[in-house]
Amino acid sequence: MIDSGLDRRDFLKVLGWGGAAAALSGCGNTSIEDGKETVVSYVEAADYAIPGIGVYYNSTCAQCDAGCSINGRVREGRVLKLEGNPASAINRGKTCGLGQAGVQHHYNPDRVREPMLRKGDKFETITWDKAYALIAEKLNGAKGEEVAFLSGGVSGHLKVLLGNYLASIGCKNHYVYEALAPAVARAANKKAYGIEMPRFNINKAKVVLSFGADFLGSWVSPVHFSQQYAQFRKGVDGQRGVLIQVESKMTLTGANADRWVPVRPGTEGILALGIINELGMASGDIAAAVKGYDRIRVSKETGVPPGQIDKIAALLKLRSPSLVLAGSAAEGYAHGSQNAAAINLLNHVLGNVGKTIEASSSVTFTQMAPAKGNTAALKSLNDGLAAGKYKVLFSYAANPVFTAPGALKFKDNLAKADFKVSFAHYLDETALQADLVLPLDSALEDWNTQVPEYMAEGAQINIQQPLMEKLHANTRGMGDILLALVKQRRAEEYKSFDDYYAYLRAAMLQNKGALGGGGADDDTFWNDTLTKGIVKLAGSSGALSGKASVVGLTLPAPSAADAQYPLHLIPGVTASLRDGRHANQPWLQESPDPLTTIVWDSWVEIHPKKAAELGIKEGDILEVTSRSGSIKAQAYLFPGIHPDAISVPLGRGHDALGRYAKGYGANPFQILDAVFDQETGELAMHETRVKVSKTGQCVIVVKDEGSAGGKQMGRKIAVSMSTDEVDLSKEV
Amino acid sequence: MSVNNLLENWAQFRHFHPVDDKPHDPYKWAMSIDLDACTGCNACSVACYAENNLPVVGKEKYQHGHVMHWIRIERYWDESLGVAGGGDFPEQGAQFLPMMCQQCEAAPCETVCPAAATNHTADGLNSQIYNRCVGSRYCSANCPFKVRYFNWYDYPTTDNVWPAEMNQQLNPDVTVRSKGVMEKCTFCVQRLHAAKGTAKNEGRLVHDGDVQTACQQACPTSAITFGNLVDPESKVHKQWQSQQVELDKDAQVKDQKEGGSGLRGYRIFEELRPYPSVMYLERVRESAV
Amino acid sequence: MKDIREDIAWAQINQDVLKSMESPRKLYWVILFFAFAAFCVGVGCEVYQYQTGMGVANKNNPHAWGLYISTFIFWIGMSHSGTLLSAILHLMHADWRKPIFRFAEALTTFSLMTAGLFVMVHLGRLWQFYYSVPYPDERGLWPNFQSPLLWDAMAIFTYLSSSILFLYIGMIPDLAICRDHLHEGWRKKLYTLLSLGWEGTDRQWRNFRVTYLTIACFLIPLAVSVHSIVAADFAMSQQPGWHVTSFPAYFVAGALYSGCSAIITLFIILRYVFKFEEYMTLPILKKTVRLTFAIAMIWTYLNAVEFASVWYSHDQASKDVLIQKVVGPFAPFWWGMIFCGSVVPLMLAFKRFQTNVPVLFVVSLLLNLGMWLERWMIVAPTFSHGYYPWTWDHDQWPGFVQWGMVFASFGWFTMLFMGFCKVFPSVSMYEVKEMVYHRKLHLKNSETAEQGAH
Ligand code: SF4
Ligand code: SF4
Ligand code: SF4
Ligand code: SF4
Ligand code: SF4
Repeated sequence: MIDSGLDRRDFLKVLGWGGAAAALSGCGNTSIEDGKETVVSYVEAADYAIPGIGVYYNSTCAQCDAGCSINGRVREGRVLKLEGNPASAINRGKTCGLGQAGVQHHYNPDRVREPMLRKGDKFETITWDKAYALIAEKLNGAKGEEVAFLSGGVSGHLKVLLGNYLASIGCKNHYVYEALAPAVARAANKKAYGIEMPRFNINKAKVVLSFGADFLGSWVSPVHFSQQYAQFRKGVDGQRGVLIQVESKMTLTGANADRWVPVRPGTEGILALGIINELGMASGDIAAAVKGYDRIRVSKETGVPPGQIDKIAALLKLRSPSLVLAGSAAEGYAHGSQNAAAINLLNHVLGNVGKTIEASSSVTFTQMAPAKGNTAALKSLNDGLAAGKYKVLFSYAANPVFTAPGALKFKDNLAKADFKVSFAHYLDETALQADLVLPLDSALEDWNTQVPEYMAEGAQINIQQPLMEKLHANTRGMGDILLALVKQRRAEEYKSFDDYYAYLRAAMLQNKGALGGGGADDDTFWNDTLTKGIVKLAGSSGALSGKASVVGLTLPAPSAADAQYPLHLIPGVTASLRDGRHANQPWLQESPDPLTTIVWDSWVEIHPKKAAELGIKEGDILEVTSRSGSIKAQAYLFPGIHPDAISVPLGRGHDALGRYAKGYGANPFQILDAVFDQETGELAMHETRVKVSKTGQCVIVVKDEGSAGGKQMGRKIAVSMSTDEVDLSKEV
Repeated sequence: MSVNNLLENWAQFRHFHPVDDKPHDPYKWAMSIDLDACTGCNACSVACYAENNLPVVGKEKYQHGHVMHWIRIERYWDESLGVAGGGDFPEQGAQFLPMMCQQCEAAPCETVCPAAATNHTADGLNSQIYNRCVGSRYCSANCPFKVRYFNWYDYPTTDNVWPAEMNQQLNPDVTVRSKGVMEKCTFCVQRLHAAKGTAKNEGRLVHDGDVQTACQQACPTSAITFGNLVDPESKVHKQWQSQQVELDKDAQVKDQKEGGSGLRGYRIFEELRPYPSVMYLERVRESAV
Repeated sequence: MKDIREDIAWAQINQDVLKSMESPRKLYWVILFFAFAAFCVGVGCEVYQYQTGMGVANKNNPHAWGLYISTFIFWIGMSHSGTLLSAILHLMHADWRKPIFRFAEALTTFSLMTAGLFVMVHLGRLWQFYYSVPYPDERGLWPNFQSPLLWDAMAIFTYLSSSILFLYIGMIPDLAICRDHLHEGWRKKLYTLLSLGWEGTDRQWRNFRVTYLTIACFLIPLAVSVHSIVAADFAMSQQPGWHVTSFPAYFVAGALYSGCSAIITLFIILRYVFKFEEYMTLPILKKTVRLTFAIAMIWTYLNAVEFASVWYSHDQASKDVLIQKVVGPFAPFWWGMIFCGSVVPLMLAFKRFQTNVPVLFVVSLLLNLGMWLERWMIVAPTFSHGYYPWTWDHDQWPGFVQWGMVFASFGWFTMLFMGFCKVFPSVSMYEVKEMVYHRKLHLKNSETAEQGAH
């Protein structure tokens, strides 16, 4: 670095600490060591690798964006099991099932192992040098605006390097796409509280009223919220927390609620205003705005009985503080932002802001802060592709050919890009469309830093480090690839970094003072950081600044019946399959859906009453048709769904990805209409209307639930008692 | 090899049950599961697959009832739901219950096994000796909880169960079972062994918290507590004690009392007298809504 | 009517029976061929199951046992007929058993061997079957003496060896006849060896009688215990529908029942195939039929007792299993059992059917079917509908491998049985001679008495 000829400011940008000038003042000792520090295989066992004795490394779970810290058990050079790292405030030693399956991502037999170039309909193996040269060649023939980069959510030094690379090629089209992101909630939170992701203290609330936020299953940071939930159940001062879940399709969280309130799809905002009205705690313009929402009208429009509204309001009034959450109600509809605003208003009225909703901390290094994915990005990219704007398209950590709503015709538009590069773990649907496929290291082989979007306590940077030697010789870490690519343009600036590891280490050491390593020598600091797997930071705490406001809050009347497509389609988001990127992990395929206990297949949840009306019985193969297409799946009669809606889970229905994913189930993304939230432009996931018809075929539903259909037949197996009978305060 | 030998072993075998003249000492592994905390998320089940080399059998075999999950999450609806009860919607949610081998103290599966392949250990586990099992499945027939899983196929050699690379994840501390043998939850006995070994080397007993089962360790809500029931310092001991659940009883204090005793602890099928080592804590329902 | 003509010459008896061992009707070979073909199906199924795993039989959790154990009980039950006819009726001096007890005893032996096969076929690790028998080994390992399955193995083994012994000893005088009448060849060598130098001396006869009687006395409690122990496999378990005190008696009654109906079937077949009309006479058939009817009624009663005791026990789980049998997915088979086991035998109460061979043939087959269904209805419903509702499974049915094996067991049995009847005298020559002699004596006595009166 010393003789690299870079000035100090550029160097900061290279290493990702730009925008953190204050924190850097202590920086002075930034020598870069050569030599690798990677895990060594058993064949050349290091002294410390004792056969039969497990070693443990801390790292970060990459199965979703929650950023749980993990601890991998390694024996004879092979990673065997992932546990939670107790030191992380996010997951405190715990993991979800999806996180457990991380090892099956790593050892997956269907991983891409070699760089591959399209030759007609087939791929042929090429060398990395050729692949890099090809990219350089294609980029030379394209202007910056003719290049687009599609990625999933990225953060940390990878984001820095990616940004720098995009700058080096003059590309300003970075689309950060996540098929299932709480993007509307972020925007609504920003408005209501001044922060996109404040801290939600479920454990401090006496009542949680959730409008479809599946915080125990898949919403934002499920492991963290699950822990909070357990505390919430134990109660504040021995008074057990009460969970009320309002949604049209029962989620895992809904299944755990004390009261599950089925609501007419899309009318959640109306119900929220109705409750505010019923509470009678609001004044001024809020009171005026909710005045029309009397319980009779609200009951009529939402389908929730007036008595129920009374009870909810009474309970909220009685037990304070409470917490109100906006989940799928916000993400689902064209008026999702309005729904979310109405719901967030409840928190203000109830005085929860500042109590159960608190300012969260964020890392001060804005360059590293997560680039949060959303679906509006997909729409812009798709528009650009449709217009033939892009010559070169990169895609990383996203599978839009699978997850884009069918109505966008994404696959067709993608074909209009001349040269598509896919950085891939598997040959997924998007990689199959690419011209060049570059194989990635698994998350358990790769180096990285990660900054979680939802911070539990203070702020933290998570370290991702290899838990073992690479399984396949020719895969590369995304960081290494980006480094190689950025060197094509800015060789001088990056020449001192042999690989991404060196880059990362240098970057961390450069700023060790701010990272809590002031005073320690480089090696000590670095080893300590890797050992812990987490860098805890004070972070900067944004203040809650949002105000209770009804300005611009207008809720549409409940949607009118659609004679042609009478049912709402609610795509189900399950905790283990999410958007389907991990569907090739067999543990997840065989792990029963908690609510239906179905495995290895998709299903159509339909209310028994509706099913009776349509003459549908369990196992009938139904054709679900929307304006954008149709899919087929088996019927499952499910009491936890509004009779006006059906639900099909997301994540299955792959026609690529691998042996455990391909051919199992149907993909409801394919039939989603292109309806967007009017305010944020986010995809309105629940706005697709469908009709169902029987195909005449019938199958036996493959599920764990036996012939008794989830009844205990009076056998006292899972027992419950009511709060008046139990005394939780004496419990251990 | 003699009849004396037989009689001696036999006498020992008989004594490992919780009788007064030979109490569990120094270990008796037990569990408690808080159904009010359990969300039914299935993390425990996946963790068990990872720890214990459970085969993924695939869709077709799953349909034929060949699934091998040692811990399954059952989801129950209220009896009042549906046509009979008149309820349209599960307004009180569902009820989840993790079910694995209850490590019964008087295990119905043990007495019937002709080969003595499933036995009681001194620290109160229902052990399963894969090598000794002849595959008669009598144990499964007699288990009231139906938590025993039989190897209907030779999963190690079955396509796509552990294909190349995937097999590298297998836990070397746990046998990979071959066709024709019975298996079930072991309370992660390999972890117990390791912990006991470490403690022994250090000249002490296993402390509470030294060892966790895989399901317990993963569980995001910490619904599962595991430990040594005869260690008065252990959480599991304290929980059993505060819930007044006793190992060798077929009815508990709370069953005698009229109305609410405020206690949530119970064991499933206690009246059949298998003396399960897993205590469940009842789910609580809010009466105010 | 007389059980048997009293004027058959002893030489004629020898000639008739020995002829059956030389030239049966063509049908014999046809039966043997089909039996062998059926057996081959079973071999194929077993090889497939052995190689691939028990799963191919479409068993599962909870359906852990299925048809193998059901059919095992069926064959064990079948075996009781021989002991009934040869030992019990022997002690009761029921003369009419004499022409038919030999084949009944063979039935016992071969059905036990068939039953034993099912234990093997059922084991997940057949190659380790010896772990469940007490044999001396260097590690001092013993099987679990608490397990009814172990008692089962021991009881069956004892019963089988005793039955073979009984069958063999009872045959010695006849084997000597064969030795003396047959031409040179392997058969002669065999009979010479097996007849143990029987000369028919007074001392030999006396020893023979004592030995035979002793084994008969030994066999009776053994027979009862074997099926009680099979019943214990169920009754000693804790499962709803199995944990029933009356099971041993019920099982023994069922065993005698199926044994008797099997005797009727085989009676009719042998009578035709080996031209035994002279010996296996209709009056004897009639007696067998009446005996069968009586047992059928006892079985029906015990069935009712079982249902009633379940019903009044107020044990909900057991009641559920019963209800499930009556109205659930197994209902057709359960009602089939009731029909075949309790309604069809009512035909036997009518005199005109008691000697009607075609009717009896069909009826006896139906009774056998009913008895097989009974065993299936004992085993399967408890698995599909046990204590734990989450694991109830009403969708799993036995696969073709299971059915193939059940089918093949009839082939295997028939092969052994028909083979036996061709190689050994299936009608006891010396006992028939006794019978004829006794009758003559009886006749003479009564004639003298009559004359004296006048
Ligand atoms: S929530 Fe689960 S998948 Fe997501 S990071 Fe945490 S452990 Fe991994
Ligand atoms: S739960 Fe079943 S398998 Fe486990 S010890 Fe008890 S009877 Fe045996
Ligand atoms: S299956 Fe194995 S463990 Fe179970 S009873 Fe048979 S031999 Fe014993
Ligand atoms: S205790 Fe261990 S073996 Fe048993 S269910 Fe839990 S993880 Fe599986
Ligand atoms: S991991 Fe915990 S919360 Fe989840 S299902 Fe298992 S016991 Fe319940």
